[in-house]
Amino acid sequence: MVFEIEIKSKKGFLDPHGIHTVSDIEGIGIKGVKSVDYIAVYRVSGNITVKQAKIIASELLSDKITEDFYIKEYETLEQKRIENNSIEVWFKSGVTDTVSESVVKAIKDLGIEEDVVVKTGKKYCLKGELNSKKLDKIATGLLANTLIQEYLIK
Amino acid sequence: MNVNIIEIINLSDKQLMELSKANVLSLSLVEMKEVQKYFKNIKRNPTDVELETIAQTWSEHCKHKTLTGNIEYCEHKNGKKTVKKYKNLLKETIFRATVELNKKWCISVFKDNAGVIDFDKTNGVAFKVETHNHPSALEPYGGSATGIGGVIRDILGVGLGAKPLANTDVFCFGLPDTKSSEVPEGMHHPKRIAKGVVSGVRDYGNRMGIPTVNGGVFFDKGYMANPLVYCGTMGIIPKNKTDKEVKSGDLVLVVGGRTGRDGIHGATFSSVELDKESDVSAVQIGNPIVEKKVLDTMLKARDLKLYRGVTDCGAGGLSSAVGELGEKTGVIVELDRVPLKYKGLKPWEIWISEAQERMVFAVPAKNKKKILDLFKKENVEATFIGKFTNDQKLTLTYEGKQVACMEMAFLHDGVPKPTRQAMWKEQNIKKQSSLKVSNATLSSDIKNVLSDINVCSRDCIIRQYDHEVQGQTVIKPLQGNSITNSGPSDAAVIWPYTIVKNTKKAIVLSNGINPEYGKIDTYKMAASAIEEAMRNAVCVGADPEKLSLLDNFCWGNPNKPEILGSLVRASQACYDLSKGFSIPFISGKDSLYNEYTIAGKTYSIPPALLISAMGVIEDVNHTITMNLKDVGNDIYILGITKNELGGSIYSKVKNFKGGLVPSLDIKVSKDLMKKINTAITKGLIESCHDCSEGGLITSISEMAFAGEKGINIDADLIKTDDKKMTLAEILFSESNTRFIVEVKPENVSGFEQILKGHIFSKIGQVSNDKNLTLISKKSKVLIKENITNLQKAWQKTLQW
Repeated sequence: MVFEIEIKSKKGFLDPHGIHTVSDIEGIGIKGVKSVDYIAVYRVSGNITVKQAKIIASELLSDKITEDFYIKEYETLEQKRIENNSIEVWFKSGVTDTVSESVVKAIKDLGIEEDVVVKTGKKYCLKGELNSKKLDKIATGLLANTLIQEYLIK
Repeated sequence: MNVNIIEIINLSDKQLMELSKANVLSLSLVEMKEVQKYFKNIKRNPTDVELETIAQTWSEHCKHKTLTGNIEYCEHKNGKKTVKKYKNLLKETIFRATVELNKKWCISVFKDNAGVIDFDKTNGVAFKVETHNHPSALEPYGGSATGIGGVIRDILGVGLGAKPLANTDVFCFGLPDTKSSEVPEGMHHPKRIAKGVVSGVRDYGNRMGIPTVNGGVFFDKGYMANPLVYCGTMGIIPKNKTDKEVKSGDLVLVVGGRTGRDGIHGATFSSVELDKESDVSAVQIGNPIVEKKVLDTMLKARDLKLYRGVTDCGAGGLSSAVGELGEKTGVIVELDRVPLKYKGLKPWEIWISEAQERMVFAVPAKNKKKILDLFKKENVEATFIGKFTNDQKLTLTYEGKQVACMEMAFLHDGVPKPTRQAMWKEQNIKKQSSLKVSNATLSSDIKNVLSDINVCSRDCIIRQYDHEVQGQTVIKPLQGNSITNSGPSDAAVIWPYTIVKNTKKAIVLSNGINPEYGKIDTYKMAASAIEEAMRNAVCVGADPEKLSLLDNFCWGNPNKPEILGSLVRASQACYDLSKGFSIPFISGKDSLYNEYTIAGKTYSIPPALLISAMGVIEDVNHTITMNLKDVGNDIYILGITKNELGGSIYSKVKNFKGGLVPSLDIKVSKDLMKKINTAITKGLIESCHDCSEGGLITSISEMAFAGEKGINIDADLIKTDDKKMTLAEILFSESNTRFIVEVKPENVSGFEQILKGHIFSKIGQVSNDKNLTLISKKSKVLIKENITNLQKAWQKTLQW
């Protein structure tokens, strides 16, 4: 199974990463983006249950007071659909992903013995005047370094 | 087995160069022929492991071939042509000054991973500054993070390891408001680079628990596609731990991160120009948590005397680190024992990978178990991979079979020394035409200069860094009365009381850099940078006779005679100034080939010399800050103001051409700085700030708003060397050797007594009306500016 655990600031709490992204987009000369929600994504693949995925999300990856988590479950990643007006950024395979290394260790520390593979990603949900060309420009000009990362947009 | 034999013996010159290029070896034809000769002699072709090892050992990054090579320097001055030959520019200029000065307090200079000087009877302080330009251009966050990670490991790898106490960072970026359409395809926007670089240093430094206490940022469009990222670390080391002594029979232990394909060809890549197609594997990703564990554990192992030598895996990876430790003895390494991140690495990739957070130790066989147990206990991966021998050869095996065997002497001393041509032509530089400016314009000019991107507040960057962790930072990067009222500190002071119990001594760190001057004259740029670093240190209370310097050259392509000529001039200035001031260089680094190609056209960066100064202050109680302290105190300017506006901020703001670059009288400067130090030590100075970018009015403004105090200045009292200088020229000239000083009325006579024989004048007082008031009867000018408005002007430009 593949679980994508998404971590997002709760309503009423500041989303500093999102706010900075808006000003960064302006900073490289792209206008019309009104707001950005930032979501940290952890893709956990392995033979674990939904219950275990929830433990990982609530006990390890999210802050119970300031953040919400959402879990998406896929048989294979081919089922995955990208949300409209969003940009996802993932490390290319072979690139050192230090956060994922720590997450793998911490999952073991939670008492989950099953072997898992973890990848970390970033998801940006944008609002404003957008089109696919602009999203592509934001992705390549700011959010993803295509040398080490790949991005998905819709 | 994944080892290939590379045909080299029978290749033609053309084929040799094709081989060098195809494998990113960055070796020249002369070098390739030398390699060919070696293998012809031993009657076999090299393996890929051997060829890669030679390429990285001989790389510009590791061997500094230009600075240590032959140079024929031709100077055209006053219609005359003189030729000077250098056999080793570094040894004949910068290092020569250190040798001639022969300071007893220098413990280890130019031979280890960092320079070390005396701190007290039992401890030394180590300082090193490195560059990480190319990786930061490709991946700003990862590049700068591994830049700071790497220089921290330099400090861990000096002697038997020093404990890092503070980081410094200096950056040169392209202009952040560059239009997206002007950014060449495949390169990052300068603002993205700047923000990425800052975040990288922030995250790595903060997570290591080392404060980032000093730095600087310089913006110029010339750094758009090739930013400069200088990272420095200072640490403290017991004097009896400053030497390595690797013995035959010692074991090779690799500690820390695992080896992956990260940063392969980083060392050879540093000799290549950047273009769209730059090598992707030259990117490194840092993991500070691993390095922090290595740091904590290795210092324990050091104090238990479990190893005899240590060095870090930097450029060139294991090849470089193991090669350095085993240079005198010889070494055999079993490559298949190196812990890997993933399968599939070829032996040569394992050997030269620049995966981060790795250190290599030379461990006596009897300590084998003890040291492994210690690292295991702290969750740090440590693996024995080989043994130091006594055959003076580098031998590598993989799965039991030999994959490389070469003489150490060939590897380390075999690189041929070609002769490069250098050239410099004196330019006829004149003063700008007289600058006459109206009362109102002058007022707005002051604010425009304060808002200039190379003067304005860097608080949005500084405040991201932890500059307090370890609790020893006495003088911090921002000074003033509150978060809203702050100005730029001249230098940082660290009081290492948690390491050295009951000490009163402190360590000062400062820097000087101004590539703007280098566009006109690199000799004067180097001289000004050295004095600026010293001035900054002296402002907080350092003794100018007890400073030591680091040089970091970032230059363009040295194969171009004009560019190499400007490098020779700057090196010569380093020698002259070091000798003149009697302060030694203790370490340094150069990064050459900083040029990039856009649409077939090659651009070179403006040459940049960063001078970092470090010194020991005898009594931390005798340190001061730059913000004004009390109403009624007198304000002095020390030093003479000359008509020197070449390369100044004002020339940029007003867009005028010409002007002289600030000159320097070493004798006057040396003596004045010593006297300032005497006055500070006697408690006669309340605040002190040097005059540099933006001129004296900028320094005065910064002191006023940082202290939330007004100030009255009579500009006619400022001493100049030319009566015809206009008020604008006086206020914005960037002449060297000038300080603004605040003195209590009761200390005036004592202070003036000390300064006797120097050019100085009392130009005003600290006032209680929160205005900067400047009058000049001669110029019929009265300027009154609220200090809050000045502060706003200073703070508004960079609000990231």
